Amino acid sequence: MKLDVPIYEIRSLKHSYAGRLVLEIQHLKVQPASIVGLIGPNGSGKSTLLRLLGLIERPTMGQIFFNGRSIGPFSDEARFQVTLLPQEPFLMKRSVFKNVSYGLKLRNNKDDLIGRVNEALSLVGLASEEFVQRPWYALSGGEAQRVALAARLALKPKVLLLDEPTASVDAASAQLIKEASLRARQELGTTLIVASHDWQWLYEVCDDILHLFNGKIFGSRRETMVFGPWQELETGRWGRKLSDSQELLVPSPPDKDAAAVIDVFSIQDAESREAPNDVCLRGIVSRLTLERNSGCIFVTIVAGNVPFVVGLSQQQFQDRPLFPGKTIFIRYSLDRIRWI
Amino acid sequence: MALGQLEYILIHRCVLSIKKGEMRMKGLLSAILCLALAVCLLPGICKAEEKTLMMATTTSTDNTGLLDYLAPKFQEATGIELKWTATGTGKALKLGENCDVDVLMVHAPPAEKKFVEAGFGADRREIMYNDFVIIGPAADPAGIKGKSIKDALQSLKAKQAIFASRGDNSGTHKKELSLWKAADLQVPEKENWYIQTGQGMLTTINIAAERNGYTMTDRGTYIKYEDNLGGNPSLKILVEGDVVLLNQYSVIAVNPKHCPKVKNDLAMEFINWITGPAAQEQIKEFKLLGKPLFTPNAKK
Amino acid sequence: MNFILDGFFQAIDLLITGNAETYSAILVTVRVSSYSIGSSLILGIPLGFCLGYFDFSGKKPIRTIVDTLMALPTVFIGLLVYAFLTNRGPLGNFSLLFTLPGIAIGQTILALPIVIGLSATAIESMEKKLRITIMSMGANRRQLFLTSLWESRHALLAGAIAAYGRVMTEVGISMMVGGNIKWHTRTITTAIALETNKGQFGMGVALGLVLLTIAFCVNFSVSFLRRRY
Repeated sequence: MKLDVPIYEIRSLKHSYAGRLVLEIQHLKVQPASIVGLIGPNGSGKSTLLRLLGLIERPTMGQIFFNGRSIGPFSDEARFQVTLLPQEPFLMKRSVFKNVSYGLKLRNNKDDLIGRVNEALSLVGLASEEFVQRPWYALSGGEAQRVALAARLALKPKVLLLDEPTASVDAASAQLIKEASLRARQELGTTLIVASHDWQWLYEVCDDILHLFNGKIFGSRRETMVFGPWQELETGRWGRKLSDSQELLVPSPPDKDAAAVIDVFSIQDAESREAPNDVCLRGIVSRLTLERNSGCIFVTIVAGNVPFVVGLSQQQFQDRPLFPGKTIFIRYSLDRIRWI
Repeated sequence: MALGQLEYILIHRCVLSIKKGEMRMKGLLSAILCLALAVCLLPGICKAEEKTLMMATTTSTDNTGLLDYLAPKFQEATGIELKWTATGTGKALKLGENCDVDVLMVHAPPAEKKFVEAGFGADRREIMYNDFVIIGPAADPAGIKGKSIKDALQSLKAKQAIFASRGDNSGTHKKELSLWKAADLQVPEKENWYIQTGQGMLTTINIAAERNGYTMTDRGTYIKYEDNLGGNPSLKILVEGDVVLLNQYSVIAVNPKHCPKVKNDLAMEFINWITGPAAQEQIKEFKLLGKPLFTPNAKK
Repeated sequence: MNFILDGFFQAIDLLITGNAETYSAILVTVRVSSYSIGSSLILGIPLGFCLGYFDFSGKKPIRTIVDTLMALPTVFIGLLVYAFLTNRGPLGNFSLLFTLPGIAIGQTILALPIVIGLSATAIESMEKKLRITIMSMGANRRQLFLTSLWESRHALLAGAIAAYGRVMTEVGISMMVGGNIKWHTRTITTAIALETNKGQFGMGVALGLVLLTIAFCVNFSVSFLRRRY
């Protein structure tokens, strides 16, 4: 395997269901051993993209390359290396042990099954002699999802695709799932592609975040995407009322549910505007994240209940230190808003 | 029955796979399968190649139990196993025409003669007879006791007494229809005192008994009915002995010229045996409630 | 009415004393229904799987036809099978008339629509998530098919039991094609018909109860297997 070959490359992909276009990606590359997050509202195509990358379905048009080879469902080159964890916990009608060892048996990989099953279950915090024999109907939702993850981790896959892994489970299970996934990346170099609404976690761990909307990919983590619905406010301008009764203003949207990509260009201690089309919002710093590759520090500032992400260089950060909980103002310009 | 070698191997393999244990589920399932196979194959393989003769006869003949009585004797004498299926006369003749049986034993002489004339049957030989009787409630509301058959039928019609008919185109049914004609009466097809049961003789008798009515039956079945009810039947014999009430039984070999595959040699062995003195004597000895059911009359 | 009570006692008596005719009928019934169920499952489950799994034009009409065929009267099937198996018919050379394999052919025709229809339903009600789960573990087409089949086992079993019930209790085919020959093709159901025709209602009830006992034993072992697996 050449080191510079992306583990996934998508070209000219279009996917439709019943004649309706649900996903359109012109070009996408995913580097091996990276962690990629997918963010977007329901129906934006995240699950579809994960299913296509997971070789569950074949794209209506276009190609997907894995390690440089064109692949599709049942491809021998990829099916043992790629695995997808769906959103709803689902186990086959058999015991926990048989569920976890199923994939290993498919690969005719039967040495020390018991040891490897226990190893995988301990990664999700479920290793116990009693638990291993439980039938599929005797598990809670969280336990089932952890078992499902263990079944996939046991395969030591090159790629682990997670579709909202923490959405349908309890908090404790969610935590274990997150930790187990990251360990796979650390210990095995597994590429992770995660779709989630837990944007805080994604911002914390991901090397790159893709925003999906209406089946298209936009932007990277440095931009903030805000969704509708938009209303015409009393002042005659368009925007959204935030939870703290501030108004998030936007230029007149192409339709009520469009998404706006906002580029915050200034953080300041006090409210001020330089141009008539500037908007200034008060928010609270909620998170500081270091992007390891670039050394950038990303600050998440929550105004109302909308997270705005601003990237600062080390120098900028040292000039104005921020800490979580600090009230701060952000400024953006209406002229520089993109609609999608 | 000793276990065949095949079964032994199958069961041995199953036991081994159960012992192996590691594929526990597959072992159990294959054990069940092997057992099931053994049950199915066992009798089939163990049965040696025997000589079998296939016969079609009527339900009334079968119901008397005569064949259950004669078949073992036939096997003893010739080593041939007699298998028979009992249906209505019409179907029995059809089975012969279709070459599905080797020999027939029926009791409908006009139809039989047509059968032989059409080339479906060969070597028709009369073997025994019994007679038909009219039975009815002991109280005899239509007052037919002791009358001739012609007068009896006319009384039944006049009194509109309940009468159960076979109504199934069997030998008995055809006989009954001929009796109405012989009495210069139209067959009372649509009358509501005339019940066409479409079923076997014993069932028809039972229906007549339920309705407190009359019916025509062969004496053999009547004796069986009497026997079933422990010698105390609700319907008694009221009209008998008329010469038209004769019920002649014959055997017919299915014609090998029409049906080349038929086992004509075995059929002829049967016909020769049943018309022979030993079998004829055994027919005479066949009794129910101490009364003989048939009178042998094979021509020497 | 007494014959029902008589029949009950007669049934116990027949079974305990090892009545040869009764046990012959039992063995014949078990053998022929095993042949029929075996062949209808082997043929019917894959066909039902295809009907439920794939989308193709004509799927709905075929499904309707299969559902309609579930209600074929047994005497009608018996008559059709006789027409083929009779010595003057197209399959006469195989001498299948009045034999157990002949009856089994008819009973397979009886059971097939039930097996196909209920298997198709079982596959259709299979969760989509199952497909995703199996494929994401790296299964190829064959493994996907076999595992899906195993996962639907409970619903498929229900179809098999329904077919089995229909086959065990039919008279029309056994009578027409088997000929009700004592010791050879006399099943419990044809024996019941015979005894009832002879007016021996008590015996008919007795045999009916014997049949019920067999059916109960079979269903009991099936439910044991169900819980086990």
